[in-house]
Amino acid sequence: MTKGCTRREFITSSLTASVGLGLGAALACEPVRQEEMPGDSMVGGGALEDELTIYNWSDYIGTTTVSDFEREFGVRVIYDTYESNEDLLAKLQAGARGYDLICPTGYAVDVLRAFDLLAPLDRSLLSNWENLSPEFLGRSFDPENQYTVPWLWGLSGIAYRADLVASPPDSWGVFLDEAYRGKMTQPDDMRDVIGCWLKYRGHSGNSRDPEELAQAKADAIQAKENLKSFVSAPVKDQLIAGDVWIAQLWNGDTAQARAEEPEVAFKIPREGSMLYLDSMAIPRSARHPKAAHAFLNFILRPEVAAGISDRSGYGSPNAGALPLQTRPGLVPTPEEFVRLEYQEDLAEATALWDRIWTEIKVG
Amino acid sequence: MRSTRQRRILARIVSKPSTLLAPAGIWLIVFFVVPLGVMMVYSFMPRGVYGGVDSGFTLEHYRRFLDPLYLSILLRTTLMAAGCTTICLALGYPVAYAISRARRWKHVLLLLVIMPFWTSFLVRTFAMIFLMRDTGLINSVLMRLGLITEPIVMLYTPFAVMAGLVYTFLPFMILPIYASLERLPTSFLEAAEVLGAKPSARFRRIIFPLSLPGVVAGSLLVFVPALGSFIPSDLLGGAKQMLIGNLVQNQFGAARNWPFGSAASFVVMAVVLLGVMAYLRSGRGELATSLRDIG
Amino acid sequence: MTGRLPRWLGVVAGSVFLFLHLPILILVAFSFNASRFSAGWNGFTLDWYRAMTRRPDILRGLYLSLEIGLTSAVISTVLGTALALALHRYRFRGRATLESMMYVPLVTPEIVVGISLLALFAALNISLGVGTILIAHVAFSISFVTVIIGARLAGMDRSLEEAALTLGADEFTTLVRVTIPQLLPGIVAGALLAFTLSFDDYVITSFVTGSGTSTLPVVIYGMVRRTIEPTVNAVSAVVLGMTTLLIYVADWISRRGAK
Repeated sequence: MTKGCTRREFITSSLTASVGLGLGAALACEPVRQEEMPGDSMVGGGALEDELTIYNWSDYIGTTTVSDFEREFGVRVIYDTYESNEDLLAKLQAGARGYDLICPTGYAVDVLRAFDLLAPLDRSLLSNWENLSPEFLGRSFDPENQYTVPWLWGLSGIAYRADLVASPPDSWGVFLDEAYRGKMTQPDDMRDVIGCWLKYRGHSGNSRDPEELAQAKADAIQAKENLKSFVSAPVKDQLIAGDVWIAQLWNGDTAQARAEEPEVAFKIPREGSMLYLDSMAIPRSARHPKAAHAFLNFILRPEVAAGISDRSGYGSPNAGALPLQTRPGLVPTPEEFVRLEYQEDLAEATALWDRIWTEIKVG
Repeated sequence: MRSTRQRRILARIVSKPSTLLAPAGIWLIVFFVVPLGVMMVYSFMPRGVYGGVDSGFTLEHYRRFLDPLYLSILLRTTLMAAGCTTICLALGYPVAYAISRARRWKHVLLLLVIMPFWTSFLVRTFAMIFLMRDTGLINSVLMRLGLITEPIVMLYTPFAVMAGLVYTFLPFMILPIYASLERLPTSFLEAAEVLGAKPSARFRRIIFPLSLPGVVAGSLLVFVPALGSFIPSDLLGGAKQMLIGNLVQNQFGAARNWPFGSAASFVVMAVVLLGVMAYLRSGRGELATSLRDIG
Repeated sequence: MTGRLPRWLGVVAGSVFLFLHLPILILVAFSFNASRFSAGWNGFTLDWYRAMTRRPDILRGLYLSLEIGLTSAVISTVLGTALALALHRYRFRGRATLESMMYVPLVTPEIVVGISLLALFAALNISLGVGTILIAHVAFSISFVTVIIGARLAGMDRSLEEAALTLGADEFTTLVRVTIPQLLPGIVAGALLAFTLSFDDYVITSFVTGSGTSTLPVVIYGMVRRTIEPTVNAVSAVVLGMTTLLIYVADWISRRGAK
């Protein structure tokens, strides 16, 4: 083999590279199209498909929900999980097909609809629809529930080890407290972290105001000194083990940790917090729409919804489920509810939030 | 048994370079060069409101990189990769040297060095987590022995990230250096010894300079992946640092800003290219032979 | 080389060796530990291995990784061997360019490879799945195989081939009966490397997977992020065992071939 590159070889390789890049350029200009599904609006009756692929949050379903469904309907279920809305959006945007059911949070539904990635529901197949509580219907991201079926709702708060902390933390400011340095975590999620500091200063968790965001950034960077790490749901194990004493965590995951370690407690800070509603939706590229609808109708049954809520620790939007629940979750009291606000999509402010998140991570 | 006609066709196929290189060449062009081209085009397109790209041409993404925030990320990542390379060199050279000197156990030792190289990098990172956690093995043992009362915080620190990186890439440094040391003609050394040169002088003047191609190859094999890595800083660093790999990954994930992510990738490639050109200048032979020795 | 090894050098080398292997050995040891939070040794158990077999996602991931790994190894080795032969035996226009292009994957950071392929598939509206993973794995494996086989070709004695050709065999027969057997250690090494690269890959795969196509590294990553359960140790131990076995097989074959 020759040593080094001669100048002519270098030029020829650059030329070839440019040709290749040029070809690539031609390709890149094609817009990403979405497939049209035959008979989009009316799925119609007929036999169920024999397979169903569900893409859901981890630890977000009942212990026997899937197996019960498989047995009753004779459908094989493939169950994949993700840890954040961004993972879900990134996957779908990149062209991952083959998911029949997904579970986006409210603001993610806005994005999915903007990209026209969701298929409208066929309500005629959802006979159990009436079981849903009206207060969870008609939300801003899907005013007529054309695309989404509410799944679970939850909120972000402070999970802590009652036996290891001096007093229950009741403010987001606890993360600025040096007494617990190295024993606290916040989620690796820009909506939750920046939202927390916005609420701390009395602003909206959906703020697009650069000044409010700059202040939130300053607080976040100061708090970062006290944090052990940025970690989302996986912090459960560390709470149970006692590695972490205070964690910003969602109420349902806290309930799951509490089931294994009763000293884990939950508090909604006095400044308020963010509420969210996760809903099931059918992507336009779904291959098994009938089975998807059958599953949706299945989980609208009160006893199934109760099982999902029991296991995950989150609140069910199903009115009939509440009396059937064996383990009520860590739900807020009515007066705490007043301090909660729903997460909304940031639209063009996403870039600003992302830059602030980068600065927080770097600072 | 093939008919003579078939054999003649097959013979023609394998004797012409164009047919031999066609499948691999096409695969590389279509699935390597073209994707880079696509990414390059993306890097010049404006971002759509909800993510994705709009049509148009803009330099804003590259200009954004001139922002001190992003330059600092690039600098920090480069320094970290360089630091990792240096530590790997300091730790790896003695090992390579020792193996090349060992007579009986050379083969076994080499196998032992190759093993981590072939094992899954995720598994090795997990091994580090396992050891360094507050309730992990190191702390438990030290506490049990009474040497410490509070667990030493090792995980989720820059130290953990560096340890993880070094642990992952050390074999990549050892093998090329060993390969070049092996090829040193013993006559040089014997002559030096006979002429009265001290061991340290022998090393400084003869051995090290002659092993330089291996050192450069190893450094490249460590520096390049270290530059683009983002998993160690996630898993071992507690996601508290943002390296250029994290930034790029974020743009293709949560931030949904593919154009900026593409621009950032090309900036990384530019840094890599500088390293590669330095390597090409010192000779390309070592990379191939060390990879052969791995096999 | 002459001379004894200075003591301090031996100590340093030995410590580094220990540093390389101890974490993995401990990891495997604790996969048999009967304690969930692994602070102390609680007794020997195979529970975690049993738990592993009861998890469909792990088993599916293992099967998928094996399937993709083997296919990728075969394709990369065939393509890479052909490319190596072309580059080393012939002179043609654009040879240096092709050779440079072949080196590019070796020095491209994995994340760039992953996202560029993602960008390509998105632009062409190709749905992500096993096919895209396979394409990606072959794309980065070809170069490794080519380099390894190329090195062997460079040092190969051509007299046997020349003898065969003189005796009247055509190029194809010569290739199959003479060249390839001589190259076999390199081919096997290349194939094993391609398999390992594919089997262990996380970064590139994570960008191009679709629904229900989580390979084992993707599953492991999810587990490592989510939980500290010793089941992860068990899975790791299995993966380690497999690759160690492969290394010994490769070594044995190459030693036989060298004779």
